[in-house]
Amino acid sequence: MRILIVEDDLEAADAMERGLIEAGHDCTRAADGELGLAAARGGEFDVMIVDRMMPKMNGVQLIETLRREGDQTPVLFLSALGEVGDRVAGLQAGGDDYLVKPYAFAELSARVEALARRRETGSVQTLLRVGELEMDLIGRAVHRQGKEIDLQPREFQLLEFMMRHAGQSVTRTMLLEKVWEYHFDPQTNVIDVHISRLRAKIDKGFDRPMLQTVRGAGYRLDA
Amino acid sequence: MRLPRIFRTTPFRLTLLFLALFASAASAFLAYIYVATAGEATRRTDQEIMREMRSLTAAYDRAGMDAVNQSLIERAASEKPFLYLLMNGEGKRISGSIEESPVEKFAGAPTWTTFSVTDQDAQGRPFRHPARGLQERLTGGQILFVGADIGEDEAYVFKIVRALWGAGALVIVLGLAGGVLVSRNVTRSMVGLTDVVDAVRNGDLGARAHVRGTKDEFDELAGGVNEMLDRLERSMAGHRHAGDAIAHDLRSPLTRLRARLEVAYLDVEAGKGDPTQALAQALDDTDGVLKTFGAVLSIARLQAAGTAPDPVIFDPAELAADIAELYEPLSEDKGIDFAAEYARDLTVRGNREFLAQALANILDNAVKYTPAGGAIMLRVRRRSSGEIEFSVTDTGPGVPDEDRERVIQRFVRLENSRSEPGAGLGLSLVGAVAEAHGGRLELDEGPGRVGESGPGLRVALILPRPA
Repeated sequence: MRILIVEDDLEAADAMERGLIEAGHDCTRAADGELGLAAARGGEFDVMIVDRMMPKMNGVQLIETLRREGDQTPVLFLSALGEVGDRVAGLQAGGDDYLVKPYAFAELSARVEALARRRETGSVQTLLRVGELEMDLIGRAVHRQGKEIDLQPREFQLLEFMMRHAGQSVTRTMLLEKVWEYHFDPQTNVIDVHISRLRAKIDKGFDRPMLQTVRGAGYRLDA
Repeated sequence: MRLPRIFRTTPFRLTLLFLALFASAASAFLAYIYVATAGEATRRTDQEIMREMRSLTAAYDRAGMDAVNQSLIERAASEKPFLYLLMNGEGKRISGSIEESPVEKFAGAPTWTTFSVTDQDAQGRPFRHPARGLQERLTGGQILFVGADIGEDEAYVFKIVRALWGAGALVIVLGLAGGVLVSRNVTRSMVGLTDVVDAVRNGDLGARAHVRGTKDEFDELAGGVNEMLDRLERSMAGHRHAGDAIAHDLRSPLTRLRARLEVAYLDVEAGKGDPTQALAQALDDTDGVLKTFGAVLSIARLQAAGTAPDPVIFDPAELAADIAELYEPLSEDKGIDFAAEYARDLTVRGNREFLAQALANILDNAVKYTPAGGAIMLRVRRRSSGEIEFSVTDTGPGVPDEDRERVIQRFVRLENSRSEPGAGLGLSLVGAVAEAHGGRLELDEGPGRVGESGPGLRVALILPRPA
């Protein structure tokens, strides 16, 4: 994947770039908003990681400019501002996801993957398939090896999200944000309990577990 | 030179202004009265003199000097005689009631003059009155003077002038007195507030204005000032406490973190031991510190803002059901019975995200402290006061009465909960969220002793009645 990193904190950018390159991506860096704009106009990127507060042109202005010009590249905002209002402002400006600093690299990497993936699946699907697992989005039914699996509404949403991001690491925070739509940090890992219930339903009685725990990151659904 | 305080007050200055305006209006009015009355008296006398003169000149023209003398004789017997003097062409007295003409230079044209006559009062003492007269030459060359005593007119005008001065003085005295009274009254009401402002400026945030209970605008102002100071003091205390608490609570994990890194460094340098374990632990510690920091920041921002950002109107039962769904599996896994009861058709206005987090924190605590076999009850209802109440009742150990105030404060964790994870910020955040919504947090005893765990705890987040 080609990733544009627009971040004025050079050390943070270094760490990010190193991690992303290690994960097999191509990275281009820009140290302020104006350089970022020039880089974004000059190249094709799959995802842009943009810091909100930068010298010269801030991240929100940068993305607003790009969106006006018709650039639809998925954008992940990074910000030290974590209030609801700040996040909403970032998303309104044309950001696709919002990550509050400081973050774990696993969180950043999972979100970048998710953003790039969202772009690939262009057409509307009514049937999701991951290996033996099948989800009928209209019939609201899930089958594994042809055997029907009975899920609660929330478990269904959770599994749908995991299936749409099959093969990728998905963090607990992402699940809380995308499936439950909460942006706070629960004191207890409530998500783990929900995942273990889902796991009991889709993996129990089958020869091979599909829902994996990724150490230090979260979960992954493998085909 | 500085004027006494009372003369520098705004009400006093306003009074002076009004007094000046009123005095100008009053003097214009009084001047009109003076001109109208005093002028009128003189004019009337002049007309009478003129009429007398015409009547005498007419008599002369008709029948000569004899007629004039005859008329003068008749008139001298009347009650209020005019003053007469008939002179020959050279100004020598022929007859009349006065000895000589008060007109000093007589050129021949009719001439008016003001003079004075000497009279005797009842005790025989001489006194002078003002008088006015007209002198004319008769067609035969003789000179006739007709005058009138205007002492009564003068006395009348004098009375009016005196009354006018009196009225003016009264206006000024009453106005000044009123001004002093009003400004003293206002000043007395303001002094308390000024003192409070001075005290606060000098660093005493505990100073409060006296509310007199008169329910007037000064009471309202005093009440407002007090409320503002209450908020300010709470917020300052919060910040101060947060500073201490952050220092305290971040210091220990940071110290642990530093020690681990140091040990790992020494181990790696000595070529023994695997640093991965230490690094993983250090990362965990860092996350813990960041979590604490995030919670402190949220509380501080809520308290600083004083109001909940981006409020929306929503159904509290829906929110509660949402959060319950998040926590129910956790509670079931721990062997705790979870029940919920929601009143329908309620609305609240607030920040959904913050309220969700507050409710999650309350449930989190309940699940954390309730032992297996216990029960948790989540309830949303409208109180008889119209307030909306979210409550979570558990059958855990509860919080002793004397500690209930304290656990809402930041970083307070009771001794027996030290082993549980968490930074002790959960209920503080709930309290801050409640306060930002104009509501409050209440802690009570739960349903009583269930098993051996304790009296239980009932935590209620109460939001004001939706407007």
